[in-house]
Amino acid sequence: MPQQNMIQALNAAQDILLERDPNVVIFGEDTGYFGGVFRATDGLQAKHGLQRVFDSPITEAGIIAMAIGMGANGLRPIAEIQFSDYIFPGFDQIISELSRLRYRSAGQYTAPVTVRSPWGGGIRGGQTHSMSPEAFFTHIPGIKVVVPSTPHDAKGLLISAVEDDDPVIFFEPKRLYNGPFDGDHEAAAKSWAQHSGGDVPDGHYTVPLGKAKVVRAGKDASIITYGTMVHVALAAVAKSGIDAEIIDLRTLAPVDLDTITWSVEKTGKCVIVHEAPKTSGFGAELSAAIQENCFYHLEAPITRVTGWDTPYPHAHEWEYFPSQARIINALQHVMKV
Amino acid sequence: MPVEILMPALSPTMEEGTLSKWLVKEGDTVSPGDLLAEIETDKATMEVEAVDEGTVGKLLVDEGTEGVPVNTPIAMLIAEGEDATAVVSAPSATPTPPVASAVPEVVAVVVSTSEVAADPDIPAGTEFVKITVREALRDAMAEEMRRDESVFVMGEEVAHYQGAYKVTQGLLDEFGEARVVDTPITEHGFAGLGVGAAFGGLRPIVEFMTFNFAMQAIDQIINSAAKTLYMSGGQMGCPIVFRGPNGAASRVAAQHSQDYSSWYAHVPGLKVVAPWSAADAKALLKAAIRDPNPVIFLENELLYGKSYDVPVLDDYVLPIGRARVVREGADVTIVSYSRGMEHALEAANALATEGLSAEVIDLRTLRPLDTATVVASVKKTNRCVTVEECWPVCGIGSEISAVLVAEAFDYLDAPVTRVTAKDVPLPYAANLEKLALPGSVDVIEAARAVCYRS
Repeated sequence: MPQQNMIQALNAAQDILLERDPNVVIFGEDTGYFGGVFRATDGLQAKHGLQRVFDSPITEAGIIAMAIGMGANGLRPIAEIQFSDYIFPGFDQIISELSRLRYRSAGQYTAPVTVRSPWGGGIRGGQTHSMSPEAFFTHIPGIKVVVPSTPHDAKGLLISAVEDDDPVIFFEPKRLYNGPFDGDHEAAAKSWAQHSGGDVPDGHYTVPLGKAKVVRAGKDASIITYGTMVHVALAAVAKSGIDAEIIDLRTLAPVDLDTITWSVEKTGKCVIVHEAPKTSGFGAELSAAIQENCFYHLEAPITRVTGWDTPYPHAHEWEYFPSQARIINALQHVMKV
Repeated sequence: MPVEILMPALSPTMEEGTLSKWLVKEGDTVSPGDLLAEIETDKATMEVEAVDEGTVGKLLVDEGTEGVPVNTPIAMLIAEGEDATAVVSAPSATPTPPVASAVPEVVAVVVSTSEVAADPDIPAGTEFVKITVREALRDAMAEEMRRDESVFVMGEEVAHYQGAYKVTQGLLDEFGEARVVDTPITEHGFAGLGVGAAFGGLRPIVEFMTFNFAMQAIDQIINSAAKTLYMSGGQMGCPIVFRGPNGAASRVAAQHSQDYSSWYAHVPGLKVVAPWSAADAKALLKAAIRDPNPVIFLENELLYGKSYDVPVLDDYVLPIGRARVVREGADVTIVSYSRGMEHALEAANALATEGLSAEVIDLRTLRPLDTATVVASVKKTNRCVTVEECWPVCGIGSEISAVLVAEAFDYLDAPVTRVTAKDVPLPYAANLEKLALPGSVDVIEAARAVCYRS
């Protein structure tokens, strides 16, 4: 099977979507001629033309608004927001218009818009290029939120997202673009070529939205996570000596509560891991939902390992970024309670 | 029974209006949603819709009548088989069911002072005066503007119009145009101006006509206001207050009804305050203005006109970040804030009649959250119900629940249960709006469930 990194997989997904459906268009800041600051749309304008793949001015509100108008009128736009930190000027459009169009029009209009955006930290991006703003979006009825953790899932999920008739926010863990990153920033960078998640089939395939994946089976505790932290959790569990199950959510909204409940009822212990700040983060929702559904099976407090409640630091990135050691501590904590 | 249709209020401050045009005549049959009449004020024109089906029995006010007071009966609706002539003689004292009015009924909560625990922050013997939340907010701003000349207010219609909800009433007269500033309709623009003014040493109070419109400005709030103290290594802070009404009001639909509490509570660098009573609104707004950090001050349109006891003290300021046990109890802890407190206290009263003693906590500040007070209470009661008008997923209740399950795990006798708005954009239709928002009945049911009573 061909080996691809996440950028190549996303590029291939978009190429296939453009090929198969004349209504698919791609635009954003630098997505056209330049091929995207992370190269996710490299070569697509040359192949599919200026009408299908083009550059927008630097106006996130404008990018989202244009995508909504196109979507409501029958196109299937993929709008790129260059960094998820830049998504805020487009908030009003995403929430007031995009997420509510189907509801407000009683089903007369939908907006099959996919908003792609590089997300998360670990690349020395500082405060305004490292955010994980997923909790803002998981709170909003009417939009789906996806975070892949491998090139294979990135391609299959992006195709599902674009083919979905409702809006999807597609966050791409930018630290995973070029290789699986397990949190050890001093080790040599690894490539997707040596990772099974880098096996990306040619052509069209989908990974379903709303379905989590058990990436490591275990019986002692459940780790619920997504994005970059899937790989950090895998490395932490390997060192911990604890037989923890790891669930990669892949879709945060709608979240796959069945898989989570199945796992936590089995293990009785749960650790939630994400990069975003703790307070009112998506982990809070997961914890609240898990204790509602698994209360009588829980044998220890649900523990959250998250970024700290500060803006994302530049100098102290590795003190902020949840480490293998913090995950191991949390596992030991829930095991000894 | 004949149903009275009342003169609706277009806004909480509207007292009277003109019935400019009838769109139905006597004898017409109407269904819910049909347009009945046009109402006009100096500010807007609105159509009144039928809530119930029936036949227009009698038009009680002629079209073109000016100065019709809000809540005056303007028409009578009769059901099939009822006689229109009976309507004319129907005694006006007949109590009408709340669903009959064209304006959604806002149930006033009567909480006698004996049921509310004394506020430990107010010295014994202090005199109280009953004022509305609207006046308390204005007084807080006026007092701080007198005390510190770097404080100023800006926003849409805050000056000459005295505030879209009249919260800034009188401030222009006292402080003049340099300190009470009308802005163009650009939230992104004036929030950015405010952030710049705060960087430069002033203490702006930025009013958003509603927090729904602040979505246009959220990049300024998060990327500029909240992060700069951190990004500048403490060299430059942003002492600014963003305030305005938040959450659902009466039939203003999805784009004017969102509760933003949990969004802002997620953001490092912000403080988030959401008071319920007028006393807290005043004392916490004063604290917010003095705070060296950006503060999101979430008000509630439906509370603006409610009156509460406010202590008569020269300078009543409360610390941000402290919850208050408003009612003590032993069996279940109900945690809420802002208008949710009305549902919580109403439920606590009802639960008391069933022999369940509920402790009610008003969070008052949502970031930093006073988790110590909540955890201490739940360690005593072993059960918790959270009440908010946010959507369920990633709401304030999610955070409280996660904290409790981490810090009070061995004390919990039942799952922490969240009472929230339904997971949909808020509907416009009155019947659906009512179903989408939480009420005291939901709180009572949740409290019974966590106490294992059916």
